[in-house]
Amino acid sequence: MMSARIGLGSVTRRVAFAPVIGRNQIALRTLILKRGVQIQSLPPSASEEILNAQRLKRPSSPHFTIYQPQLTWLSSIANRATGGALSALLYGFSLAYLVAPDTFTSVNIVEFVAGLPDYLKYTGKLILAAPFTFHFWNGLRHLSWDMGKLLSLKGAYRAGYAVLGATAISTVALVLM
Amino acid sequence: MASSMILRSTLPRTFASAAGRSNSLRSALQVRAASSTTQYVPGGPILKGTVNDPTEFPHPSRMHGSYHWAFERFLAASLVPMTAAAFVTSGSSYPVLDGLLGLSLVMHSHIGFDSMIVDYVHKRKFSVLGPILTWTLRSATVGVLIGVYQFNTNDIGLTELIAKVWTA
Repeated sequence: MMSARIGLGSVTRRVAFAPVIGRNQIALRTLILKRGVQIQSLPPSASEEILNAQRLKRPSSPHFTIYQPQLTWLSSIANRATGGALSALLYGFSLAYLVAPDTFTSVNIVEFVAGLPDYLKYTGKLILAAPFTFHFWNGLRHLSWDMGKLLSLKGAYRAGYAVLGATAISTVALVLM
Repeated sequence: MASSMILRSTLPRTFASAAGRSNSLRSALQVRAASSTTQYVPGGPILKGTVNDPTEFPHPSRMHGSYHWAFERFLAASLVPMTAAAFVTSGSSYPVLDGLLGLSLVMHSHIGFDSMIVDYVHKRKFSVLGPILTWTLRSATVGVLIGVYQFNTNDIGLTELIAKVWTA
């Protein structure tokens, strides 16, 4: 049995609304002779291709953009983002020192930072300390999950708020150091 | 007639969505064995093979699976006392600690980046970009290890640098 692509919407509509007596004859005549319909023979395996071609054109409903912000997934993605940012900094500096060791000596770097105005120094410390402390404390929270502790919703939320509090306190402590 | 055609073609997909993870894993392995790219369409990859093919399990390896997981947690846990120690001492007095901390930090970062690649750019869906990023990460990590070694040997070392920059 072969599936066929036939465009017969208007023809079948006309046949359906015709009076009952003459319907069969109209159907026979219109479908076979009068319309000159293009029929394309396809093997059964072609149906999957047609289906997938249709699927590619379909839009998808919003999912990631409408998920309610919650401490659980926000802290999770923040842990990954802070870890990625700090690692990118480590990788960047190490590769820079590898290709240009004379430009990135510790003496140069310390001199450069010492020459910056005070507000920039505090901003820089804040930008470095906050991700580091958050990643540190949330990492401890993650390790406690790995040991089977604090896996309930209440436990995860309490630990999450504790992490936020510890992050704030230790960031302030580091910036003022 | 047309409806039975569509029913037959979507039957393997229905089975796939019902069986869930094992089937997608099987299809991934089959695709790798068949050495052809899996075409991805919205709704999931088009699976090769029939429902009567046996499930293929990945063979155990110390680099993957639970070994990898346990090593990752052990590494992260070991970073806690090392960081605390680095805070209270100076890098010049304990260069071995400094070197260990640098090595552990780089390994921890590498595993983190690798998890991001596996999560967002898996080679099952991104058959070209996934492996490219994986190998870029590996070569970058090698470069970073050499750079960290050079910096710790020829210069003051990571902990000392951070301490000096912080109080500059």
